[in-house]
Amino acid sequence: MTNTALASTDAWLLYEPTDSAPWNVRRIVRLHRRAGFAANWSEIQRDLADGPGPAVERLLCGQAREVHTHSDFETMARTIGDAAQASGNPDRLMAWWLYRILLSSDPLTERLALMWHNHFATSNRKVQDLVLMREQNELFRAHGRGPFGELLGEVVKHPAMLVWLDADSNRKGKPNENLARELMELFTLGIGNYTERDVKDAARAFSGWTITSGGFQYKPTWHDDGEKEILGHVGDLNGEALLDILLEHPATARRLAWRLCQTLLGEDVALDADIDALAAGMIEHDLDIAWGVETILRSQLFFSDAACGRRISGPTEWAVAVLHALELCDPPPSTLLVAEWVSRMGQELFYPPNVGGWSEGRAWYASRMLVARANFAATLATGSLWQPTRAPALQQLVERHRGASDLPSATAWFAELLWGHVPDGTVAEILSATESNDGNENLANALAVLLARPESHLT
Amino acid sequence: MFTRRQFLKAGSLVSLSPLVPTVWARTARAAVAAPDSKVLVVVQLDGGNDGLNTVVPFTDDAYHRARNKLRLDPEKLHKLDDRLALNESMRAAKEVFDDGRLAIVQGVGYPNPDRSHFRSMRIWQTASFDDAAHNQYGWMGRALDGSRIEGGNEASAIYVGQEEVPVAMWGRRSVATAISRADDLKLLLPAARASAVNVPSAVPADSLQQFVTQQMLGAYTAAERFESRAATASPVSYPDSQLAPRLKLIAQLLRSGSSARVYYTQQSGYDTHAAQLYTHASLLRELAGALKAFAEDLREAGLDQRVVVLAFSEFGRRVAENASAGTDHGVAGPVFLAGTPVRGGLHGAPPNLTDLDAGDIKMTTDFRQVYATLLDEWLQIPSIGILGEEFTSLPLLRTVGG
Repeated sequence: MTNTALASTDAWLLYEPTDSAPWNVRRIVRLHRRAGFAANWSEIQRDLADGPGPAVERLLCGQAREVHTHSDFETMARTIGDAAQASGNPDRLMAWWLYRILLSSDPLTERLALMWHNHFATSNRKVQDLVLMREQNELFRAHGRGPFGELLGEVVKHPAMLVWLDADSNRKGKPNENLARELMELFTLGIGNYTERDVKDAARAFSGWTITSGGFQYKPTWHDDGEKEILGHVGDLNGEALLDILLEHPATARRLAWRLCQTLLGEDVALDADIDALAAGMIEHDLDIAWGVETILRSQLFFSDAACGRRISGPTEWAVAVLHALELCDPPPSTLLVAEWVSRMGQELFYPPNVGGWSEGRAWYASRMLVARANFAATLATGSLWQPTRAPALQQLVERHRGASDLPSATAWFAELLWGHVPDGTVAEILSATESNDGNENLANALAVLLARPESHLT
Repeated sequence: MFTRRQFLKAGSLVSLSPLVPTVWARTARAAVAAPDSKVLVVVQLDGGNDGLNTVVPFTDDAYHRARNKLRLDPEKLHKLDDRLALNESMRAAKEVFDDGRLAIVQGVGYPNPDRSHFRSMRIWQTASFDDAAHNQYGWMGRALDGSRIEGGNEASAIYVGQEEVPVAMWGRRSVATAISRADDLKLLLPAARASAVNVPSAVPADSLQQFVTQQMLGAYTAAERFESRAATASPVSYPDSQLAPRLKLIAQLLRSGSSARVYYTQQSGYDTHAAQLYTHASLLRELAGALKAFAEDLREAGLDQRVVVLAFSEFGRRVAENASAGTDHGVAGPVFLAGTPVRGGLHGAPPNLTDLDAGDIKMTTDFRQVYATLLDEWLQIPSIGILGEEFTSLPLLRTVGG
């Protein structure tokens, strides 16, 4: 982790527990909720005992989740994916991905795949092909933690993206700028770092890229081999050359650093100087995503008080976090139902709202989306996410981990598990809002009400 | 441009007010579309509506000659003037017309008409004739792109129905969302609100936590409000049909303070190739009844000044009926605009049934003129950037500007 570029700011120094920033449940909850769809109680206790080094290490090498019964996970996931693909039903493809996210032993890889799905936002509403959508999703998994150049090349040349951004209709003499523009604005440089002339000539550079029988193909006869000038580079530039130019441009590293900070740190946590330093570090590391992720997850900034409560969990993250933390995945809920709820909360997987992706952060707080979150919580607590309906054994869960299961203790434990701490007065507030004569129903209601509180969405 | 700083500032205004209904109305998203801004509701009549049997030229001999089995009895029609009348099943629409709240634009179409449902619908939805553009962005999506604020919360367009959000609403940056059922807007466990009301007092006014808390409270309260308004039911009763519940849901959304500027829904079944008399009349009855109920509902709620409804179909049908007592795909047809702000009456030149183009009437009004009118004079979004060229507005609206 030695890096000269990083030294310009303290943000990326290695976090080590101190009296003022101790290693505690709150920091562990933050780590897992941001990077791995939450931890359950045993995982939290394990990390508490081992310290931050091993905790982060386990996330990075796909061992954060305690192994449950699913040693045949990959086989099972493939079978579900194949069936979803064969059915032609996009809901089942959403359910397939949620199955992966819920049960994979490598939640960080799934978290980053979700980030890339937003970065390279491609919607099946236009692609209309579940095979291509699934293939693209597998690219996010296979390359999502490697050098960005490899990921970019794979994704941009994949038919899902070529269809989505009309690369097929971009030909010599008949340019279509869609791919060229979004590539610069969204996937690499970011707005303000290129001119309209760059976009025009970039479209010409891409001419000749097309799709045949489901795969990428370059057709020299469709390529405009005239001279182009893109970002100061002059010549008969083709698509490959253009990607190289974009990857070398410092704005691309900056945008990547920004994307990682947005995903792992939240709103206004990393200052401009911090993002600049991270970007400089990424350039020194060949835009290696894994390096950037590790740097953030081990940093003082990540575990600082300033980073506390700065990030709003997105719908998929939130729904899965709740299910995993409460150990509700054995048996797993109906992933079709979870997918439907996540869509109502505003994140219809494989159908981002536009090429810019979901806005994230505060944009997750549209009223309908919040009502859906509260209703998801109520549905989960009553067991209606399972088919047939199966009320979660909350009483036993709390007893096992806390020793007691009276309503106040249980509510406090839920808060500690999901929020990492129990703010003064919240237990009383939740209990006063929850009134029922039935003991078990009370516990379920208390959980639902707790999940519908603001603290549950912020990490 | 709306910067993050302004956004936070708008957010902190919210936090000064502990009273929830104002929170709902005044959060930062209101800047996207304040709940008092003008709204467009689009009803897509899917399949190609037979315009000649909708707005019937009942005195025209050419009509009677062309329609042997499908000819409508002039006695039963609802006369609009001494030459044109509405289908006998459209009494409800006639009442809206008599009330001055229904405008009928005749002969609306586009040059070089296409008789494919798919392509013609794409032309209407994207306002483009370029096939490559037909899978990109819709005319309303493009219109809303410009008015969207970075980081805005609410969808600027809402599709109501079971189907996918139509391409008309796809934008490069604007967000359209689909709602299929009223249940999506109700809170299952009301206790959630009781608990969320307790905002920690120590939280700084412009913090993320404050924002989250206020949004949540606003959302839960809106849900409660939605439910209570829905439960107390407007005095208007909607007919039982496919379209009416959808328009009712749009009215409910508007009543509960939704800030979307465009709503879109559809009524399908207009592809009447055979034995169309009964089917077509039922569809029109449903359309007329739903439009009237919707108009009354909005008036009851005091929202009618804010809302204009546009009903269109991808094409009309041929002048001559076919051998199966139906009609085949044609070209131009009537477009409806309904609402208090609308200048009611007949607009545009009526089609000439003796001057046909290969059996089809010639269009007399370009559909993009209707769009330009709605964009420039109603939504107040300059149409030239959306339509790519300038189209003359039509005098379809009562009040202009404001």
